[in-house]
Amino acid sequence: MAVGIRLEAIGKRFTHPTRGEGWAVRDVTLDVPPGQFLTLLGPSGCGKTTTLRMIAGFEQPTRGRVFLGGRDVTTLMANRRDIGFVFQSYALFPHLTVFENVAYGLRIRKQAEAELRRAVDEVLELVGLAGHARQFPHQLSGGEQQRVALARAVVIRPQVLLFDEPLSNLDAKLRVHMRSEIRALQERLSITAVYVTHDQDEAMAISDRIAVMQGGRIVQLGTAEDIYARPATTFVARFIGRTNVVRGRVLGREGGALVVLVCGRRLLAGADEAPADGAEVAVLIRPETVELRPAASDHDSAVIESRVFLGEKVDYVISWQGERLLVAAYDPIRRGTFAPGDRVDVRLPTEGVRVLGDEPAP
Amino acid sequence: MRAFTGEAGGPTLANVWALLRDPAQRQAFWNSLLLGTLVGLGGTALGLLFAFAATRAGLGRAWRLALDAATVLPLISPPFTTAIAMIFSFGPRGLITYHLLGFSGGSAYGLPTTLLAETLTYFPIAYLTLRAVLAGIDPNLEDMALSLGSSRWQVFRRVTLPLAVPGLANAFLLLFAASLADFATPLILAGNSFPVLPTQAYLQITGLFDFKGGAVLSFALLVPAFGVYLLQRFWVSRRHYVTLTGKAGAQTTVKSLAPWARWPLLAGCLAVAAMVLYFYALLGYASLVRAFGADETFTLAHYRTIFTSGGKAIRDTLIIAAIGTPLGGLYGVVVGYLLARKRFAGRRTMEVVTMLNYALPGTIVGIAYLLAFNDPPLALTGGASIIIACYVFRYSPTGIRATVAILQQLDPAIEEASLGLGAGSGTTFRRVTLPLVLPAFFAGLAVMFIRSMTAISATIFLVSIDWTLITVRILENMTELALGAAAAFSVLVVALVFVALALIRLALRRLRHAAPGEMSGVLGG
Repeated sequence: MAVGIRLEAIGKRFTHPTRGEGWAVRDVTLDVPPGQFLTLLGPSGCGKTTTLRMIAGFEQPTRGRVFLGGRDVTTLMANRRDIGFVFQSYALFPHLTVFENVAYGLRIRKQAEAELRRAVDEVLELVGLAGHARQFPHQLSGGEQQRVALARAVVIRPQVLLFDEPLSNLDAKLRVHMRSEIRALQERLSITAVYVTHDQDEAMAISDRIAVMQGGRIVQLGTAEDIYARPATTFVARFIGRTNVVRGRVLGREGGALVVLVCGRRLLAGADEAPADGAEVAVLIRPETVELRPAASDHDSAVIESRVFLGEKVDYVISWQGERLLVAAYDPIRRGTFAPGDRVDVRLPTEGVRVLGDEPAP
Repeated sequence: MRAFTGEAGGPTLANVWALLRDPAQRQAFWNSLLLGTLVGLGGTALGLLFAFAATRAGLGRAWRLALDAATVLPLISPPFTTAIAMIFSFGPRGLITYHLLGFSGGSAYGLPTTLLAETLTYFPIAYLTLRAVLAGIDPNLEDMALSLGSSRWQVFRRVTLPLAVPGLANAFLLLFAASLADFATPLILAGNSFPVLPTQAYLQITGLFDFKGGAVLSFALLVPAFGVYLLQRFWVSRRHYVTLTGKAGAQTTVKSLAPWARWPLLAGCLAVAAMVLYFYALLGYASLVRAFGADETFTLAHYRTIFTSGGKAIRDTLIIAAIGTPLGGLYGVVVGYLLARKRFAGRRTMEVVTMLNYALPGTIVGIAYLLAFNDPPLALTGGASIIIACYVFRYSPTGIRATVAILQQLDPAIEEASLGLGAGSGTTFRRVTLPLVLPAFFAGLAVMFIRSMTAISATIFLVSIDWTLITVRILENMTELALGAAAAFSVLVVALVFVALALIRLALRRLRHAAPGEMSGVLGG
């Protein structure tokens, strides 16, 4: 039965041997409804793993409270919280077989032998390791070890599943494959899950919601689409997807959109907040929304500086009105490509231009 | 320490001054330093030769096993074995000097033979240290240097050797300390012409019953020993270049050795190995003939002697080993766990104290135990308990270090995983931590047993009529010139140790799937 997770203003102070005292997590409040898959996404040192470990009970919060299914578990040890945790290093017991690794949690719970065998066999079947029960962890490949760790975490039917960068030790192809397996398993068992990663693709592929963290705080919380299309800050925009962030000035408003001056051109842009007229703002332009056409005249045209052919798209760097922009042009085989030095006209649709909530970088 | 106590019982430095003024004792001090330096240099060179051959010559499994076998023999042998063999070879009726070269009246005593015997006894320590260091140097670094245009010799001189310098220094210091503390070899071989400190201290105490003089002499030994300890701790340990990355790096074969260079390298190793084997063969032969060099008819008389009149020593040694070995193994694991996983006040002190017993020369430890437990309320001298206590505290550091090493390599997440699955910390220790440190426990057991069978420097001060040891009987036989019996005792000890090691290895193999356990910690005198 799935339960929700609630974090109330939790913070974690730490003492680092060389960097002194500091807050790993400053102030995190978060509600994960039962059955949801939430990802904590951020660069290293943003506090995402510490937050996860506080949910698990491996760390005690310095302040704030942790609730699992409405019950305050803040002071409860990890072994009393009924969680399934998947470690980055897998942390398989090297002295136990695959079967005994998976059975460990059930043995601790004094499950009857017949019941235990059935449960372990079933979950090994589920992760596709039915034939490996008698092997030892070091005899398995990285992907197989990952599956054992997953099986070991879910076999006890925990209230919540917690993942600490579980795929970062796998190669790129396997990572893509395993993340869909993890998601399928979580949906099938309908267990509430919190997943930590620094990989934005992984976060977008696997999650119901994403919480982007920076400096020990959640800076934006929403679905993948929300965050990609409407990032709150330059940091979020840069972290999710590829980005051009340029300087602009607010000229006024027209309908629901802001009118901004970017690169000497008046553009319509979306925004959450409404800065005053004349304000200097950071403007986000997503590379794939920029449209390039052969230049009709030299007036206001841009120059292709470089071109990288990637198959499904071509990446250009263009120089335009003193700014350099990254542009991604899809389906190059049917639509043709430009060569470095070509002059192009630039079109910027409103959906791809957005005023960000923070000050522009100097 | 008793060294500073005057006749009236008050503290005084007069004893130390008296020592410094006595030219004979001063000579012993310099002799000890000279011998230690030479043994350190020679042993490190031999160790490097073997280690280089083992890690860089692209040898097959069989070859490497042979190298290991040649180096493990001196490590597990009782003291005196090389000394006995030296006398058999170079003595007045020695196999080499008399029978082969035709000298008569040759002397087996003095610096050259002591040096040779100690070098051959201790070079395996250097080998084990340096093999680990050389194996830890990523071969990709050497490939890289080759690709930058270095010749093989330049690679060795500019890359491999500089990276191995901390290891070389460490090996030298280990050997220097071992030689400084070695008491058995010089007692037999050094003779009157070349007195060294440990033997002088022994003679002061057992010959003249001058406890104070013995303490002072041991104290003089403490100065260089302490210097070595400081150098190791603060100089060598900071200069360890960690080139191991933990990543299973690209497999590369080692190419830094020219094919032609393999053969002189191997020949050198083989010559040394042959010498070691020759010594042991000689020992076995001598134990089976009536009187080596004089009457070489086959007899089992020596073995009859050691099992009848020497039966008590054998029994006592085995009893002491049987009690001390599990105790020491357990002690090592418990202390290692405390040091590696728990934070408590006095942890550093505990670490230093446990290592101190190990780093100090055996004669000092023996005399200290003798003085500390000679009077009530702790009048343990003469009993088995003091010998066992001495072994447990002195030889458990190998087990401690092995435990600490395993626990440091053990991802803490493994214990957290157990916690997350619902196990309490007690259950986690029992079901996860304990099984994983078992290899360290067995390594500790092996060293405890080997040392219980072969140690002499500390325990010679602790034996009595009630409790005696094989090693002490060997010494008695040597002084009575009953060389055949001494050889027979030595062969027995080597055989016993081999059996015990084989059993432990068997137990370890059944645990092979657990964390990799190192058996290489069989160091120290």
